[in-house]
Amino acid sequence: MKRIVALLVALLRDWSRSRETVFFVVLFPIILLVIFSTVFASSAPSFALVVQNEDVGPDGEPTNLSAEFVDSLENIEALDIGRIDADRNLTAWSQESDGSGSRVLVLPETFEENVRAQSGRTRIAIIRDTVARVQGDMNDSERATVQRGLDQATQNTTNGSAATVAFYAPPDDESSAVVRGILAQVVADFNQEALGIDEPPVTVESGTIGDAGLSSTDYYLPAFIATLVLINGVMTVPGVIAGFNQDGTLKRLVATPLRRRDWIVANIIQQSLLALVLTGVMLVVAAVLFGVTAVPGPLAVALVLLGAIAFSALGMTLGSLLPDPDAATSLGGSIAFPMMFLSGVFWEMDIMPETLQTIGRVMPLYQFHRGLRRLMIVGTTDGVWPAFAMLGGMAVVFVALAIRLARWRDFGD
Amino acid sequence: MTAERIAQGEPVVEVSDLRKTYGETVAVDGVSFDIRAEEVFALVGPNGAGKTTTVEMLECLRTPSGGSARLLGKDIAEETRAIKAEIGVVPQSFHTFDRLTVQENVSLIRQLYNDGRTVESVLDELDLAEWAETPFRSLSGGLQRRTGMAMALVGDPAILFLDEPTTGLDPDARRTTWEQIEGLAERGTTVVLTTHYMEEVERLADRAALLLDGAIEAIDTVPNLIDRYGGAIKVIVRSESGRDGDESTKDEPLRPILAETAREVYRTDTGDLVGLFDDRERAQAAYSRLHEAGDGRAIDLVSAGMEDVFLQLAGATPDARGELE
Repeated sequence: MKRIVALLVALLRDWSRSRETVFFVVLFPIILLVIFSTVFASSAPSFALVVQNEDVGPDGEPTNLSAEFVDSLENIEALDIGRIDADRNLTAWSQESDGSGSRVLVLPETFEENVRAQSGRTRIAIIRDTVARVQGDMNDSERATVQRGLDQATQNTTNGSAATVAFYAPPDDESSAVVRGILAQVVADFNQEALGIDEPPVTVESGTIGDAGLSSTDYYLPAFIATLVLINGVMTVPGVIAGFNQDGTLKRLVATPLRRRDWIVANIIQQSLLALVLTGVMLVVAAVLFGVTAVPGPLAVALVLLGAIAFSALGMTLGSLLPDPDAATSLGGSIAFPMMFLSGVFWEMDIMPETLQTIGRVMPLYQFHRGLRRLMIVGTTDGVWPAFAMLGGMAVVFVALAIRLARWRDFGD
Repeated sequence: MTAERIAQGEPVVEVSDLRKTYGETVAVDGVSFDIRAEEVFALVGPNGAGKTTTVEMLECLRTPSGGSARLLGKDIAEETRAIKAEIGVVPQSFHTFDRLTVQENVSLIRQLYNDGRTVESVLDELDLAEWAETPFRSLSGGLQRRTGMAMALVGDPAILFLDEPTTGLDPDARRTTWEQIEGLAERGTTVVLTTHYMEEVERLADRAALLLDGAIEAIDTVPNLIDRYGGAIKVIVRSESGRDGDESTKDEPLRPILAETAREVYRTDTGDLVGLFDDRERAQAAYSRLHEAGDGRAIDLVSAGMEDVFLQLAGATPDARGELE
């Protein structure tokens, strides 16, 4: 124990005096948190959309319904609406204003006319359907009167098709699907209004899980913590260990009565303390910059420690396998990066193909950040035990492997 | 300490047919030797001779391919930790925690041993006290090596291994290192050093083993090695103008003095007149008579040394980098 403490103190001193450490422990979490919180936590993304309303009257002013449609687009926060004149040639405009990268929505010149006609036809169809449902309660005279009225109304309805707005997006526009979805909702609302439906038969109510006061930063904080613990353990530790191996520091220590397991245990304790420091820094940064409200309890702290042990033991194993620090770091990166991308840390796993989702769900990082999220955000222990089991199993296996594989002889062979 | 229980001159290292191979390459080819308590023992040889591989096997840092060795009666294959508790090591490519101070690094190593000296006493002994608070990375090469020595001594070792202790050091640092090793030897520490500096062997070592291509070519006390392989003692009358001058006339009165007692007299390519003697007293007498009869030219009495031993056994001597010239 005396040797472990001596080594731990030396490792912590050496680590704390490194400029790289200051970057990793203080600046990197801040950068990570600021970037991702800004990206994911912004109140509403804004998508540019240029509207050309061709449906104008002889005076050049937009018709009532087309103006109303454009107004409803402008009321959508997620859309940043621009306009081009009705008589402007779209192709020429695109070339002149470098508008080839813009999304464009065109309202045809028959917009109002078609909306009125189509809404009339739709209303009559609804009435016919309603009458058909209730005609069993009418006598013949009533039925004939209603039928005459409906026929008259149908004759008065203008022929023509429904109004079609045309949406154009650049071929490499990754957000076109989102904008198309927003437009579909606007069109649906507009149709509903055109038909005079004040209260639609089906509505959707949205809410949040757990404490409604949690921000997006609260939500992503566990993912950031888990990711930093992973990066430190699997990418930084292998390089550090291989560096001690390569520069002769380890050889000097091995020439003493130091035991292999003492070396591994001291390093793992150091990494666990580092994980706690990282977590603390993340929480402070999140609190100061984003007013975070999630605070890890004892179980969350225990999970962070277990993750630190598991990942740093894996890192020490890699560092022992490859004596070159750069190679060891690269090997760590080749494990850490796919794990980050597949584990749903920064985006929902639902957007990935089924096979990748299956792979992602068996990744320890997935269990790690999911467990932390449940403990820190949802405030439940339900579903966190797989995380403890997986990280615990990893810790046992890789601590044993790290001790077994730590280079204790034949340096440079 | 174990060494205190072992009388001076008793073997503390017993090596028998020790081998190390890497595939087809034989690094150490069945060496056998003893090292005795309180002596300074040198493993001498050019780069690649197998010096470091041999000592690293004794330090339990390298796995032998064959043979055996015992340190202080303990088997290097079986009693690794017990051996490490009794030895101090300054590896050839020495390094330690960069950002820790000298004091912190030495203190760390002290805490890895059950018994040992105080950090302060070791720093004082090696004149490192004024550098105690300096980070290792800020030290000169000589001071870094001295810190390594302090780390090796703080466990109060019975046997101290120094692998190329002065390679790469400037002359001042080298001299300081030699004085420190001499101080350790005077206090009865058994020192095992590897080197390719013959001057170092002559100054420090009681006994030496010459390693060539992984095998011991010769092993004995340094004086015995020089006597046996060093060749004759030389008395040299230095040329002033080279062979094409009138040296042959000038040396007429001096040549008979040399020829009277020398085994052989000859002139070198650079015009020096050389007399070879097998006996130091005769050489000294001839040297004195030449001085009396001299004509102003420099006259030197040159004893054989380890350079000559190496030249005799290897056909060449290692240069400053350890490569055979």
